Amino acid sequence: MKNAKYILRLTVTLLLITAVVAGLLGLVNYLTEDKIAALQNEKAESAMREVLEADSYEPLETDAEGVTALYQAGDKGYVVRVSVNGFGGAIDMMVGVDPNRTVTGVSIISHSETASLGANCTRGDFRAQFVGLAGGLAVTKDGGPIDALTGATVTSRAVTKGVNLALECVKEVLG
Amino acid sequence: MNFKKQLKEGLLTNNPVLSQLLGMCSTMAITTTLFNGIGMGLSVTIILICSNVVISLLRKVIPDKIRIAAYIVIIAGFVTMVDLLLKAFLPALSDSLGVFIPLIVVNCIILGRAESYASKNGILASAVDGLTQGIGYTAALVIMCIIRELLGSGTFGKGVFGADGIRILPAQYPALMIILPVGGFLTLGCLIALTQWVNRKLAAREAAKEAAK
Repeated sequence: MKNAKYILRLTVTLLLITAVVAGLLGLVNYLTEDKIAALQNEKAESAMREVLEADSYEPLETDAEGVTALYQAGDKGYVVRVSVNGFGGAIDMMVGVDPNRTVTGVSIISHSETASLGANCTRGDFRAQFVGLAGGLAVTKDGGPIDALTGATVTSRAVTKGVNLALECVKEVLG
Repeated sequence: MNFKKQLKEGLLTNNPVLSQLLGMCSTMAITTTLFNGIGMGLSVTIILICSNVVISLLRKVIPDKIRIAAYIVIIAGFVTMVDLLLKAFLPALSDSLGVFIPLIVVNCIILGRAESYASKNGILASAVDGLTQGIGYTAALVIMCIIRELLGSGTFGKGVFGADGIRILPAQYPALMIILPVGGFLTLGCLIALTQWVNRKLAAREAAKEAAK
């Protein structure tokens, strides 16, 4: 009997601690949820404006490889959100494509690449290389026009792949 | 309770990173810019103080057999709260530290202090221990950051003083290697050696003082 009581005490103590912690977490989540969602929306929105300025963005359905969202930016073209595997995890990026199937801009929304190496993929001069190019891109090492980032070939290849996927997706939409 | 003594322990003789060799993973992974170091150091310090206080408060209630489970639940709770708060109010820091904030849960410094200090001492002493150990961790991170940022990127205070910091070495000189994990090991090794040397000197001086008495 004594043993059963002890076991019960262990269980109840742990249950109480977990319940209190869970309650507090729920509260913090409730307080921060909207703010975090708003920040993420804002980030996506500003990334869309950066790659292709338009009055409105209309979401479209797509099941293209690697594409997480597709928007029609009026008659200016399309904005494609793609997720590719980089060196340290997924790279979430936004690519603007005009109706002539050339890239109007690339923006990195989030990534977990190495600081000072792969993380340089957010730099303007790297991203600007893609502007005005069309289909089948590759880094210079693979015989393409894109100068890879120093010490971050894997990241550079991933971003290039992302742009290619976005172009493929728009190609399908345009038929 | 002796704040001065605890502070000296946190910074030198019992520094969590440089003497106890705990929390190496995050230390090496994030110490590439001053911004990261300060952010991570402060986050860990806050979590350490909170978890130390709560664990000290509950030290007589939590049965011995389930103490580790209980500690981990409490620590994980605080870490997740800090993670959510950072995401909502300091998104730049949250982006930059990425997965290493959630990983504070398994940072041995926090559990180590809970087990070896907070579970045996009073609330105030535990809070002071959390603060001094946190300061020690932050100091170790900041020193690592300054060295690695200077040698690896040639700048000082990236993210703290403007996005690119203050350039000290011209862009062609910095050794990229120092930013990579290899450089983390090298810097940390040198710092640990230095700490051991200082600690030995301090101990020798103490011993000489004792002998003179």
